[in-house]
Amino acid sequence: MSVVAKYRQVFLTGIQTSLVYRWNFAIRATFSLLHLVYIFILWGAAYAGQSEIGGFPLAATLTYFVVLLILQFFLSAANDDYEISEEIRNGLINQFLTKPINYFAYRLSLYFSARLVTGVLSLVPFLCILPFIGPKLALPAGEHLALYAVAAPALLLSAFIQFTIAYCFGMLTFWFLEIQSFIILSLAVEAVLGGQIFPLDLMPPWLYQLSSWLPYYYQMYFPTALLTGRITDLSVALQGLAIQAGWAVALFALARLLWTRGLRRHTAVGG
Amino acid sequence: MSALLRHLRIWLASIRYSLVRAMMFRGDFLMWALVELFWMSVNVLLVGVIYDHTDSIAGWSKYEMLLLVGTTLLVQRLLMAFFWSNLFELGRNVRSGTFDFFLAQPGWPLFMVSTRKFDLDGLVNVPVALAIVVYSAHRLHLDPSAAQIAVYAGLVLCGLVLHYATLLAIISMVFWLQSAKGIEGGYFGLTEFSRLPREALRGIARVVFVYALPVVVVSNVPARLLIYGFEPGLLVWMLGVTVFWLAVAIAVFNAGLRRYASASS
Repeated sequence: MSVVAKYRQVFLTGIQTSLVYRWNFAIRATFSLLHLVYIFILWGAAYAGQSEIGGFPLAATLTYFVVLLILQFFLSAANDDYEISEEIRNGLINQFLTKPINYFAYRLSLYFSARLVTGVLSLVPFLCILPFIGPKLALPAGEHLALYAVAAPALLLSAFIQFTIAYCFGMLTFWFLEIQSFIILSLAVEAVLGGQIFPLDLMPPWLYQLSSWLPYYYQMYFPTALLTGRITDLSVALQGLAIQAGWAVALFALARLLWTRGLRRHTAVGG
Repeated sequence: MSALLRHLRIWLASIRYSLVRAMMFRGDFLMWALVELFWMSVNVLLVGVIYDHTDSIAGWSKYEMLLLVGTTLLVQRLLMAFFWSNLFELGRNVRSGTFDFFLAQPGWPLFMVSTRKFDLDGLVNVPVALAIVVYSAHRLHLDPSAAQIAVYAGLVLCGLVLHYATLLAIISMVFWLQSAKGIEGGYFGLTEFSRLPREALRGIARVVFVYALPVVVVSNVPARLLIYGFEPGLLVWMLGVTVFWLAVAIAVFNAGLRRYASASS
């Protein structure tokens, strides 16, 4: 079996597994609409009496949050860290050690399949409410096309970074019995520095500059900002893409290191 | 009465067991306390960032808003300490069939499900949430009377019951679904509204989140008590919705319980 065929099969199996939980994903997506209502109310009230906050009108800020939420469903490695942790703890990774399967590629295939299912399912409730929220949103004008071209690889790299960070957290199971607290702490950091709580450009400039050197910035904020016109300078976008690629390589190297070091500590038992 | 005392004794025994367990895994306990502290900081940070760019949200100043957020955090820390893990695991247990063990225990199933664990890490952050409330009150030059503080404490308790009821009703959906994975997100989605001033909600949003669901009233009534003093109508409203929603949540749980057919092989 060729390498591509092998991981395509994993991808297809992953889609079938994810579809079993289609109602849970649909419910989760519907609940996320509540978050959107909260965002609309909070920021609508904050904008009352002023046309701009941080140089952006209300429509631009609301668009930022809508796009971010949709991207979260397509990109966020929501459960991969827990699943990897479980597979290490329960010894399920043992089967990969004796077979010609790369565990990173196997998990990455599953990540892509799960994200495809959750992403597509999340679009259903969003399309239902689009007629109502559409008039309140504003995407950048036509001259923004070059930045959309940068956004395409940025989205792929963002997915890779999301997954690799989750993978690295999963690897911690080789050293720690319980990694849930690490993951939730990382989620909190990611929520702030990834721009999920507020657009990062609303922070003081020095803090914004600092955050743009961290990997969290490239998990969600960077592609969202490119798509919604919060980053308009092409040179800034290209520089961001270069830093993002650098983080992708660095995190992949870390993931490899954790896997090889972790395996040295791992003991496979059972008959 | 003896049944009530027996249940109380069971709860105390569970708390004692959880405390011993927390002290056995001190590193884990500290890590979780840090996690909760960080999430609380995220909420405070949001208020700080927004008020860097505006003076008022729906007529609420920065420290009034912080008082509101602090009150929500206080209620949520109490929920995390006493009920979160228990109800979160209910979802998993129903799916795996482990829920059978709770039915076999000598007590009211809902009580046994809700009180098995106690999370000290949630409780240690209660003083932090209280500090946010006290600091905000200080910056607002509020000087609440002893009666106001006592009623505020009672309203926070009502808030805890309302959060518990919301979470219970949502998690009980697991009796009808295949898995509870992700449905706890509904709780977080709904309770986000408790960090909003009531005045910010208009039209249908006001009807749904202020009048139909108890998610705004839960924090606004206690916060308003400290800021504006006694408003008897609001106190009656808060007490009424607390009783009503607790009854609804118990009814949903009981309906689910009748549907439960175990998952053991």
